[in-house]
Amino acid sequence: MTPNDLPATIRPTYERCMRLVRIAGVLVPERRRDEWTREWMGELWYRASLLDRDDDSRAHAARRLYARTLGAFPHAVWTFTDELRLDPMLQDLKYALRGIARRPAFAALVIATLTIGIGANTAMFSIVHGVLVKPLPYERPDELVYMYGAFSRGSQASVSPPDYLDYRERNSVFSSLAARTVFGTSVITGSGEPERVRSAIASANFFSTLGIAPYRGRAFLPEEENGDHAVAILSFGLWQRRYAGDARIIGATVPIDGRAHTVVGVMPPVLDRTMDIQVWRPIAFNTSRTSVRRFHFLRLVGRLKPGVTLAQAQRHMDVVAGSLAAQYPENEGWHLALSPYRDVVIGDVRPVLLILLGAVALVLLIACGNVASLLLARASARSGEMAVRTALGAGRGRLVRQLLTESAALGIASGIAGLALGHYLLVAVRAVGTGMVPRLAEIEIDGTVLIFTVLISLATSLTFGAAPALHAIRSDLASVMKSLGKTSATRRGVSTRDTLVVAQVALSCVLLIAAGLLVRSLWQLQRVETGFDPSRLVAAEVSLPETRYRTRDAVAQFWNQFLDRVRAIPGVESASATSLFPLRGGGDTYFYVEGRPPETDADKMNATISTVTDDYFSTMRIPLVAGRAFDASDRRDGPGVLIVSNALATRLFPGASALGKRLVVDFGKPFTGEIIGVAGDVRVYGQVNDAPDLLYFTMRQPNAGWGLSVGNLAARVRGDPASLAPQLRAVVRELDADVPLSSVQSVESILSDSVSGQRLRTQLLVGFAVVALLLAVIGLYGVLAYSVSQRSREMGIRMALGARRWALLGLVMRQGMVLVVIGVVLGIAASLGVTRLLRAQLFGVGPTDPAVFAIMATALIIAGLAACVVPARRATRADPMLALRTE
Amino acid sequence: MKPLSISALSVLGAVSRGVRYGFDIMDATDLPSGTVYPVLGRLERDGYVRSKWESQTVAQREKRPPRRYYEISASGSRALAESAAHYREIGARFGAAPRKAPSK
Repeated sequence: MTPNDLPATIRPTYERCMRLVRIAGVLVPERRRDEWTREWMGELWYRASLLDRDDDSRAHAARRLYARTLGAFPHAVWTFTDELRLDPMLQDLKYALRGIARRPAFAALVIATLTIGIGANTAMFSIVHGVLVKPLPYERPDELVYMYGAFSRGSQASVSPPDYLDYRERNSVFSSLAARTVFGTSVITGSGEPERVRSAIASANFFSTLGIAPYRGRAFLPEEENGDHAVAILSFGLWQRRYAGDARIIGATVPIDGRAHTVVGVMPPVLDRTMDIQVWRPIAFNTSRTSVRRFHFLRLVGRLKPGVTLAQAQRHMDVVAGSLAAQYPENEGWHLALSPYRDVVIGDVRPVLLILLGAVALVLLIACGNVASLLLARASARSGEMAVRTALGAGRGRLVRQLLTESAALGIASGIAGLALGHYLLVAVRAVGTGMVPRLAEIEIDGTVLIFTVLISLATSLTFGAAPALHAIRSDLASVMKSLGKTSATRRGVSTRDTLVVAQVALSCVLLIAAGLLVRSLWQLQRVETGFDPSRLVAAEVSLPETRYRTRDAVAQFWNQFLDRVRAIPGVESASATSLFPLRGGGDTYFYVEGRPPETDADKMNATISTVTDDYFSTMRIPLVAGRAFDASDRRDGPGVLIVSNALATRLFPGASALGKRLVVDFGKPFTGEIIGVAGDVRVYGQVNDAPDLLYFTMRQPNAGWGLSVGNLAARVRGDPASLAPQLRAVVRELDADVPLSSVQSVESILSDSVSGQRLRTQLLVGFAVVALLLAVIGLYGVLAYSVSQRSREMGIRMALGARRWALLGLVMRQGMVLVVIGVVLGIAASLGVTRLLRAQLFGVGPTDPAVFAIMATALIIAGLAACVVPARRATRADPMLALRTE
Repeated sequence: MKPLSISALSVLGAVSRGVRYGFDIMDATDLPSGTVYPVLGRLERDGYVRSKWESQTVAQREKRPPRRYYEISASGSRALAESAAHYREIGARFGAAPRKAPSK
């Protein structure tokens, strides 16, 4: 019988109704679906066949039939819930919830333990997901490529504007190739305080290459690349802060670096750290600076054409670079180094995040161990109940399922609490992680994180629920029934819990050792000799607008006046200026020893440049190894002088004094200077990096160095360095209200900030390790305390037979410490393998540092002893009379 | 015993009067299909009605699939009587005149 047997006038109505029934039927449990559908089919067919009357009432009746068919949905829902009611799973759940409610303290302990584990994992996973996994917030981000200029393998230099134009012209792999600068600052004046902001110049197609639409206004136009257009695009943050989000900013004129610029657009809120620029301006390709192939200061961003791989693009750009080198000798050896845009945004945090995720997973595993141990202890206590239920006919499968349902209920409750905890942990990370974690704003608890949390909650409950479930399967009905009412632990339950304790100790040992290594390396990092004395030293940055301080003499004059006034501030011991402040980076150039010019480009020597005032060395307390500091005898028009850093001097003139030798340094035009002093090495690029080769020049000689139009004040004070800021600002305002003073900071805090990333990751890992240690100790304590309570009868008998108290103490201590020692030995063995993953994060300490291993193992053993003492003492208080009476 | 709900009472009443098929019960009680079927399900679960399939031969003769029909059980009749009495008593308390029991 098919619907074809129905009259053609009726069939569509019937089929329409049956379609509805089939949709609703999806909800009906499979077991009942066929019968359910056939009931509806029988009624609908019958009713449909009655419709075959006159047209008018048929249309009406058909509509009524269809409306009635809608009742299939509530019917299906009812069938579904009715089936659930019969489902043993639900009954298990009801039973489990009742069991949990009966022992609220037990449930609270379990849920608290798991919540810590799941919460920390949720937070860590959100970070890893947000930073490493989620696509970048750009259009088709996988097509985006970042390009450094490269001279040798692995170098990360820049690209010159003419080279960029040629690359843009000649390549056939990018649908769009853009350029931008990365380091730069500008000064905004006009209404309000003058302000120094991060600025960049970019090719007109830069925003369209990334696929970013301006938040307000427009992006740059191609014709704005010729330098006649003083236009600017502001960041969302700057627009909100300085201009209060006023929409009239578009078209308004803002003085930037002393020149009036028309604001044409506002960017959307900060996308990632590569876009953390406050003022964008179009690059001008027709200036003297931008038409020289030797001046490399651009980074490129390209969008690959569909189907082109990174490797293909690299090969293609190498060919283009080769043709450029053939045409222009100064391009010899230069090429582009391509890398995925994502790598540049994320930077080097990937291994750190993965290590932390691994650590936090270990913490969860240890927490699972504790909960499993708790449940096992309860399972032993409930073995009577289980045995009775088995005797009454409950299948083993049913018992196991019931136990697993209980675990799942606990796991899910913990998952919900863990999600909340994870949320608050993320709030905390967002508060402290600025600058240390890239893409911070994109980290959130989203659908993927939710799925992750659900999965780990379930996996967790299976992990800790498996042990008692297996225990229930294996336990022997007869023996349990026989021992009902007696208090001797079944041997198997205890040994499973022993294994858990050993595993927990081993895992926390691994975490402790890893944390110890990071602590040690952070300590080493902070002890690194920077080459100067940072105590009570204050630094500040001053940028002089180029429009008004055109010459080096004008710049020098400002600094002399400024330093004189700073020295006059009470509490200032000494004040000096430098173009390159330690830990804040700087510029470098080529040089050679006079009379020994390099034969090829590869022989060129490179050094970092610093232009300083006379008392710079005395203020910074940088020792002069030989010769003298700059002084008034180094006159403006006198013979050129310079000071070299110690390591460089030793390398240039091994076994001879560097004093009196002359160097030729490339500052656009060559500058020849005599070495008048050798200064101690200074770690200019942070504690992690070696001290670079340094050449110092005096501000008195305008042909040397880069000048101090952007310079740093270094002043040593007697009191608190931070309190100097308002006075410094006042002094600058007095001299020139258009000069911004920024980054007033004590040098000690700069040093401490420079290792803040290392500090954060160390603190996190230490935190995880401490939680792990606590959990392991609690686990050990729980096992011993339980075992002592189970063996109180045995202890009593032993005492009655004459055992001394200390012997009983030793008995319990030995039982616990055997587990601890086995755990520590296994933990050390595992650490030897695992800490190798940390190698890249360590500084001044090897991954198998014996001192760290020894200290952490000892700490763990001491913690283990502490966990054993309490139950062991309780064992000695066993009452022999009580034990004998119950026998 | 808990009295039947009003809708269960009217469905069970219809079944007891010999209205056997789901859609016919809807017509008889004026209840929508989304109410009648769950009520029938519940009544069957509690043992007040039994469901059966009409015979294949009848269906085949009429060239249609077989229909499912419902019959009241002994305990269903008892529940019907008790619940009806219960509601009548409530009605009486509110001053409504007790309806005569259906004749025959």
